[in-house]
Amino acid sequence: MRIGIVCPYSFDVPGGVQFHVRDLAEHFLGQGHHASVLAPADEDTPLPSYVESVGRAVPVRYNGSVARLNFGPLTAARVGRWLEAGDFDVVHIHEPVTPSIALLALWSAEGPVVATFHTSNLRSRAMQAAYPLLRPSLEKINGRIAVSEDARRTVTTHLGGDAVVIPNGVNVSRFADAVPAEKWTGTESAPTIAFLGRIDEPRKGLPVLAAAMPAVLAKHPGARVLVAGPGDVEAARERLDPAVAAATEFLGMVSDEDKAVLLSSVDLYVAPHTGGESFGIVLVEAMSAGAPVVASNLPAFVRVLDGGQAGATFANEDGADLARQLLRLLADRGERERLGEAGHRRAWVFDWSVVAEDVMAVYDTVTHGSEDARSDPAADTRWTRLLRGRRGGDD
Amino acid sequence: MDSLTWGVVVVALLLGVAWYLSYSAARLDRLHTRAEGALSALDAQLVRRAEATLELANSGALDPASALMLAAAASESLEAHNERALEDDLLDGQSFGAREVLESDLTESLQAALTADVVADLRGGEADALGSSSLQRVEAAGVRVQLARRFLNDAVTDVQRVRRKWVVRWFRLAGHADLPRTVEFDDELPPAVRD
Repeated sequence: MRIGIVCPYSFDVPGGVQFHVRDLAEHFLGQGHHASVLAPADEDTPLPSYVESVGRAVPVRYNGSVARLNFGPLTAARVGRWLEAGDFDVVHIHEPVTPSIALLALWSAEGPVVATFHTSNLRSRAMQAAYPLLRPSLEKINGRIAVSEDARRTVTTHLGGDAVVIPNGVNVSRFADAVPAEKWTGTESAPTIAFLGRIDEPRKGLPVLAAAMPAVLAKHPGARVLVAGPGDVEAARERLDPAVAAATEFLGMVSDEDKAVLLSSVDLYVAPHTGGESFGIVLVEAMSAGAPVVASNLPAFVRVLDGGQAGATFANEDGADLARQLLRLLADRGERERLGEAGHRRAWVFDWSVVAEDVMAVYDTVTHGSEDARSDPAADTRWTRLLRGRRGGDD
Repeated sequence: MDSLTWGVVVVALLLGVAWYLSYSAARLDRLHTRAEGALSALDAQLVRRAEATLELANSGALDPASALMLAAAASESLEAHNERALEDDLLDGQSFGAREVLESDLTESLQAALTADVVADLRGGEADALGSSSLQRVEAAGVRVQLARRFLNDAVTDVQRVRRKWVVRWFRLAGHADLPRTVEFDDELPPAVRD
């Protein structure tokens, strides 16, 4: 099958959607399908051979984070050329409601279209303002996928209709096979706690962890916080309490390999996100690596953690509650091991081998329908044939 | 304004209206095509599910009573499909016949026959490769039936919404095509199969 995947977010920076697209494409390529990814990227960014760049993205605030997006007639033309050259059986568009190549691809797509909704907060005011414009394009989607129940609810409330839930996939064995590194491994007197995510973005929750740390350091003076993620380190350090800053190591942006090593080394992984997460793939990655997870009780996180069976949760944005959970787990090695094992078992539910099969079932369904409808030219009246011929131009 | 200006304005307005009408007609046509495609996809997946169920029933891996029950439900579903196979436009006057009831029955039979023990038995027994492979096909087809029905109902909802627009009703852009209806039946997979 010839699969075209559109990712609206730039491949220059790491992000959940980008990783999702990359892993999905690699999985289908591995199965012998043809897959091509269209995404924004800087000219000098090294890209895998299956990714085609639509050029440099412009940083814009969207959906509460800084997103790098592409728009304009030049980009639209590039998207059109990619679609034409690819001759895809199915075009799979991620985050179709972003002002970016996702929307442009939807606009010019002719064949079967599958769309995956990742976000759980389409901003309703922006949506309502642009709705009449978007509607005809959104009607082209043959199959809608949501990555979580929350994302699905967003789709049903804002767009109407329904979506099938297929969760994000994780390459479980890549994390499970990582060898722990001594520099990140904790000891009885100096346990290690990992945090992943942009450090200057409050909704990733670093301030919540910082608020919890003084209480933890009072009990475990040697404890270390390992922070992996892009952002301004000096500014972040200044915002921290001096004692907490001294116990914190900023690792900057880490490679995928290092992330796996980090997660398999640490005593605890903390996900203090305060909102806007519809799935939480980092949680599954930590669980795959066998790290015990402490996460805020966002509905999406609680669901990934199987209602709290596969990881500990604390009241969202409550540093004191986080401190209580951290202290409870740091004091109890047996419980940490139990959580780590339970998390690892749970993680297999989200492995790509399971997830990609579900996505393929969606492709099968939508491509079947369109082949059948197209192979029936006798049903066309002269009027509809005329309109179909012009369709690319007039909508 | 002189008559030339008026003429230009009227022509421009007429062109605008004509463009909007053809745009709306193309949009509706695309939606109808999508709904038709989704309907034929659902039809095909239902046939696949029924065939896989027959195969499972005839594999000899089930007890004769379960096999007979499944075979009966599956062949009713196939018969209903064949009766309609000659109709070229599935969407015309479509209420999906009485097939909703038959498909719900097949779903129910599958749920009754494929209990946790039976599924474990089918998957575990290596000697009965036919049983486990046809169970796999039943599962794959069952998942696709769910997807196809959901995608169809999405498409139908979109068609219904656009057909309510005044431009479509006043100018009869929908032609003689009947208003499609959503297809509702039980397509839940047996819980033991999905795990």
